[in-house]
Amino acid sequence: MSTPKLKPQRHSRGKRPQFYSTPGLDDAMSMIIVLAQELSVLRDRVDAIERVSAKRGIDLAKEIESLELDQAALDARELQRQQLFERLYYVTRKEADELAQADSKQRYDQVIEETAQA
Amino acid sequence: MLNTFQQAQHPLLPRSTHDEASRQEFAKSLKQFVQQGLLPGLQPVFAQRAAKAFEQQHGRAPQDRREIRKVMEPDLYFQHYAALNRIAQELMWNSVIDSVERELPALNESAKAWSAKTDAQLRIDADFVPPRYVTALDIHCMPGGYASELSPGDISVAALYDRGAYLYGMGFAGPLNDDMGRSVCNYVQRKLPGFKPRRILDMGCTVGHSTLPYKTLFPDAEVWGIDVGGPVVRYAHARAAALGVDVNFAQMNAEQTDFEDGYFDLIVSHILLHETSGKAMPRIVRECHRLLSPGGYVIHADLPPFDLMSPFTQFILDNETWYNNEPFWGAMREIDQIKLATDAGFPADSVAFATAPMAILESSAEGAAGYTGDSTAAVADREFTAGEFAPGGGWEVLVARKAVQA
Repeated sequence: MSTPKLKPQRHSRGKRPQFYSTPGLDDAMSMIIVLAQELSVLRDRVDAIERVSAKRGIDLAKEIESLELDQAALDARELQRQQLFERLYYVTRKEADELAQADSKQRYDQVIEETAQA
Repeated sequence: MLNTFQQAQHPLLPRSTHDEASRQEFAKSLKQFVQQGLLPGLQPVFAQRAAKAFEQQHGRAPQDRREIRKVMEPDLYFQHYAALNRIAQELMWNSVIDSVERELPALNESAKAWSAKTDAQLRIDADFVPPRYVTALDIHCMPGGYASELSPGDISVAALYDRGAYLYGMGFAGPLNDDMGRSVCNYVQRKLPGFKPRRILDMGCTVGHSTLPYKTLFPDAEVWGIDVGGPVVRYAHARAAALGVDVNFAQMNAEQTDFEDGYFDLIVSHILLHETSGKAMPRIVRECHRLLSPGGYVIHADLPPFDLMSPFTQFILDNETWYNNEPFWGAMREIDQIKLATDAGFPADSVAFATAPMAILESSAEGAAGYTGDSTAAVADREFTAGEFAPGGGWEVLVARKAVQA
């Protein structure tokens, strides 16, 4: 039997504040910023690709237009998209995690009060 | 500001793929934008909109940081600022966890191997229970906190902290994240000429960022770093070995260590006290007094008290308490730290606040990667701005000297 893969904790312990009064807007803002992050990552990668290939004298634009995806490529892209969704729904999943651990704003306030006590 | 500050790679720092590095850079850039692009807008939003609304309702201006928070929290501009600040923090940790997770369990093996290569001591107490003030909430929203382990001996949270702390500070703390330690070293060199501590203790050392400079400044001294987190102490020991610096580390609580009375000539801490509690902080100050030799110095680099700041500045700084899992951040700034020190036995005329100038300029002078004279001066010479990382000019330190004769 192989050793189970070590999975670091993704959520920080402690009730996440709600910044907006509109329900769902906190989630939406996180999603939007994650999307902006991925867009930025992609731009960096395209930039890297172009810089690397240009060093080798390759015209990538032309080759990309004529590329056909095989099954392995389709699977790889699917996996990448699922991982993107997990990041995109980070806040929504944190809420479920807090509920699973019965964590609350009340407990957060209590910790502030307790830690301040001399 | 340009992206000029790069972290120095060492064998334990998790390596990043192209996309992981790019996500981390995005989180770092986003922090920069929140502080430079959105933070300055809070003042006019408060003065022109939120404060006026409060005045209309109450017939007077908001008087303290609590009233300011009440009137700012419903303001959409403030909501965007605070939400984006929080999201940047979450993206930052998650972007580093990707690299840490991918490199496990090799990172753990590497830490063990580096630790085995040094004669410096590593003391881990198997029965140690970390205090509640570091486990009740994951401080600064770092998933797992300082003390959790995925398997016995696991150091993943420490690797996360090493890279995350660099991104959090946007590199302002130098290639080895050691600017606070180096700045206090500079203070010692300039203000305490001829002081040659034989033994030095760094309390709340985490991964040893600020601990190692003391060994560099005082190569003959016996240097110890202690922390309540087992993973960070193990990582610190291995990291010091990998960087070729001979420093001892132990898992201990600064409230009550097991070193003998008067063992240290110099005790320091860096951003430790605000992560403790109202009960622990006086105990730590008393423990410093017990551990110091006659004439020895203690220097705590942490947050200056609220008393001389405007209510609006207090409000900005106190955001950490409410939105970043820093439960003691605000309360700590209300404590009379001078009184704590004198109550612990330090002579009143030996206790004072001072400023340790940022050592970052020296990184540039040494030709560290990405450090230019202009970029470092731009960071080091800033005016103090609440809500930005690292006060311009220097780090606030509380200095106290134990009486030469009892």
